[in-house]
Amino acid sequence: MTVKRITFLQELLGLLGLGGRLGLSWISSAEAQKFVQVVTDFTQKIKSLGPNPLSAFPEKRKAAAAGLLLEQSSVMPA
Amino acid sequence: MNNKVKAWLEDGTIDVFLGYKEVDHHPLPYCFTKERLDEVDDLLLSPARYSLEKIATHMTDEEPDIKIGMLARDCNSRALNVLYLWNQLNPDNVRTVNVNCCPSRLKEHGDCSYLEPETVGAYKRRVGVDNNLALKDVEAYDETERLDRWMYEFQKCIKCYGCRNICPVCFCKECSLEHDELVRTGPLLPDVPVFHMVRAVHMAGRCIDCGLCEAACPMDIPLRLLYQKVNQIVMDLFDYKTGTSVEQPPFSILGDTVTLEPKPIEPLKVINNE
Ligand code: SF4
Ligand code: SF4
Ligand code: SF4
Repeated sequence: MTVKRITFLQELLGLLGLGGRLGLSWISSAEAQKFVQVVTDFTQKIKSLGPNPLSAFPEKRKAAAAGLLLEQSSVMPA
Repeated sequence: MNNKVKAWLEDGTIDVFLGYKEVDHHPLPYCFTKERLDEVDDLLLSPARYSLEKIATHMTDEEPDIKIGMLARDCNSRALNVLYLWNQLNPDNVRTVNVNCCPSRLKEHGDCSYLEPETVGAYKRRVGVDNNLALKDVEAYDETERLDRWMYEFQKCIKCYGCRNICPVCFCKECSLEHDELVRTGPLLPDVPVFHMVRAVHMAGRCIDCGLCEAACPMDIPLRLLYQKVNQIVMDLFDYKTGTSVEQPPFSILGDTVTLEPKPIEPLKVINNE
């Protein structure tokens, strides 16, 4: 069930364009090596994906609003 | 149809009948009763569409034994199935008059006016998500573009809760969307995309693709498309076809226990027929 739940979220986030940032692994307390490996791999993966794209949105929003204003003013010159 | 409804009301098969009546040239949801039997002649079929089953749920909250009749298109019937499964309504207390259905991916023909493709403006087409697109078209955008487009849509949200309020299968006594730990209440703007994602996750196994949320959304956010994705995943992963029958168990992606502290919310008012 957990696998499916996480797959569900991965796919949903994928639709938004936030794919690859959610992982799931089973590691027992006896598997220190595996733990290190999984965490290192995932850290690298996240790093290569770059910062959370959502954090850019307040800025993008302002830019988009400015773009819209420009567009409108070019249609209706003052 | 009208005679059947009259007969049901008269012989006590049902206490009330939920349908539509034209008021000031608007087809509005209306509750017909035995006391005013003549009004049944004004019972209207088309093109109105509303989640009558939601009104039925609210009525049942107030009066658990009330026997309710209602007009049911295919979307209403699917919603009823979900409500039966979740013990929100008792099938023994509900009688339906089945009528023609709206067009959807589940059924092509219909006469419901609300799902005619809308005209989408040029700006929205360029930067947002066209409500008329199919899922695969949206998924064809590359990752960055997809995020930009969805965020353009979500950022328009004015947190009016209209999508939840109209939704026939949103019946929770305490809604996560008004739980400050999850989604900030009060001041605008809503947390995006958290607000919409929380709701999307909840629609797993519940959304019956009626599209009323999208029709209700004042900001024209393509919510139906979002929940269609949810439905698609639920179907692919869990082989669960929401609302198609009452033979399947209720489905919840969240599991059985909820650990948040319950918080009282104002009870929703039943539409007043006086
Ligand atoms: S949004 Fe979620 S918590 Fe709120 S009523 Fe709908 S299903 Fe319940
Ligand atoms: S389409 Fe929208 S209103 Fe209809 S069941 Fe799904 S979430 Fe609710
Ligand atoms: S109906 Fe639209 S604007 Fe209102 S809360 Fe829902 S998504 Fe936001």
